[in-house]
Amino acid sequence: MSGMDDSLWRRPHIMPLGDSALLVRFGTSLDDEANQATLTLAARLDAEPIFGVLEVVPSLVSVLLRYDPLQISPGHLAGEIALRLGQGNEAREPHVHDIAVVFDGVDLAEVAAALGLSENDFIAQHNAAPLRVLTTGFAPGFVYCGLHSEALVLPRRTQVRPSVPVGSVLFAAGQTAITATEVPTGWNVIGSTSFRNFVPQNDPPTRLQAGDLVRFVVAR
Amino acid sequence: MSVRIIIERAGPLCTIQDHGREGLLAHGISASGPMDRAAHRLAGALAGAAGEAGVELTRAGIALRVEQGRLRIGWAGGAFTVAINGEGQVWPGGATLAAGDRLSVTPGPRGNYGYLRFGPMLDLPMVMGSLSTSTRARLGGVEGRALAAGDVLGFVGEERAALSPSPIALQEGPIRFVWGLHAENFAADVRQRFVEATFRVTPMMDRMGVRLADEAGVFAGASILSLVSDPILPGDIQILGDGTPIVLMRDHQPTGGYPRIGTVISADLDRFAQMRAGDPVAFEPVSVEHAHRLLRSSLS
Repeated sequence: MSGMDDSLWRRPHIMPLGDSALLVRFGTSLDDEANQATLTLAARLDAEPIFGVLEVVPSLVSVLLRYDPLQISPGHLAGEIALRLGQGNEAREPHVHDIAVVFDGVDLAEVAAALGLSENDFIAQHNAAPLRVLTTGFAPGFVYCGLHSEALVLPRRTQVRPSVPVGSVLFAAGQTAITATEVPTGWNVIGSTSFRNFVPQNDPPTRLQAGDLVRFVVAR
Repeated sequence: MSVRIIIERAGPLCTIQDHGREGLLAHGISASGPMDRAAHRLAGALAGAAGEAGVELTRAGIALRVEQGRLRIGWAGGAFTVAINGEGQVWPGGATLAAGDRLSVTPGPRGNYGYLRFGPMLDLPMVMGSLSTSTRARLGGVEGRALAAGDVLGFVGEERAALSPSPIALQEGPIRFVWGLHAENFAADVRQRFVEATFRVTPMMDRMGVRLADEAGVFAGASILSLVSDPILPGDIQILGDGTPIVLMRDHQPTGGYPRIGTVISADLDRFAQMRAGDPVAFEPVSVEHAHRLLRSSLS
């Protein structure tokens, strides 16, 4: 679709989420362009804040804007958002993080077999290209990185594990996720990392930001 | 002289709460904060509270003793039974307690959450701008956990003049909501039945969410495949894969992929939080503009 005007190609839906937030949604399923459009708008809102907006939250394919209804009406806010959609993309240079992973997860063998690969080939393909931090969500500092090529797409597991430790490296739905707290998960556990994304005493409390690039490397 | 109290008995999941830890959803952190904000504020006024944080207590209540110093304590939220040194007091209300005095809150006729606020400020570490406890994320309050018997809470600063504001007017009627993100994913007849049916609050409720019983089977068979995750806010009404409606509350998961048919309006979320297991609940759709009028009138 290169050459098409992005603002026409990705005209988002702007809809209320309750009485104090609007959601700007660029798609109803996860794809790279919707995520890019989401990050671009979030960066724009950061660079040119709107009076009355309390919080901007980029997610996989949508941006949430919490607003103070006593300071701005949703109609006025939607207009201000629209003004920031049509503009060109002056994306910041993404931060690049090398994250060392010990590929020893309990599901690694099963994942490799399901993809028809040896464990070493899976690890090589998994680490071949840098991934983008698509969003942080689900739990403090829990990052979704993607998207892997279609050859590396597996569904989630049917059973949820009640708890996996901090620093677990998870794989499902064409993405790799890193846990920053102990969480339950239905994703495949492929490894672990000493990288800690969430430190409550730090400001900001997380190190990875949506839009950053992550290069996964084998820990030595 | 510094002021200290000791918790002698704590019901399950009594926590420290202030206004909440807002602005951190992009880091995967929901804001927490009081389940009943108006009651939290009222208890603060009754205490002459210098700080923003207090104790949110649950159905079984709490008991404490002043170990050292004097302080004023205000209480509000639902209708609990309260006594000082065994002598019954009015709820909501407030009093000044001195070293050796005991305050006891026991179950009462109405509500799930009560609040104790204090004249001086709770001396606890700020975590990301707030003292609020999230037991889910293990942040804030006392070591990120619920209060337990034996916990000692210290205070700093001077209390302010206590106010005697009017109590919170009891409201009845349906819980009002704004149609949600995925309302259109539900068939028109399901949406119609959603606003006509009566649901029931179940005992499966906590600060993360309140599960409802769908006795009329509104969502039976209305299964919707899981969706791409979007941010969640308190009040979102999410329908699980098995058709169970769940209203997400202050310690909600920050993002989620279950369909959301609506969001409870800000003006009705406190009232919803105080509904007890077994209570019937009906939902009434309103416009965002209407919700804003209600919000303005509640603040004036």
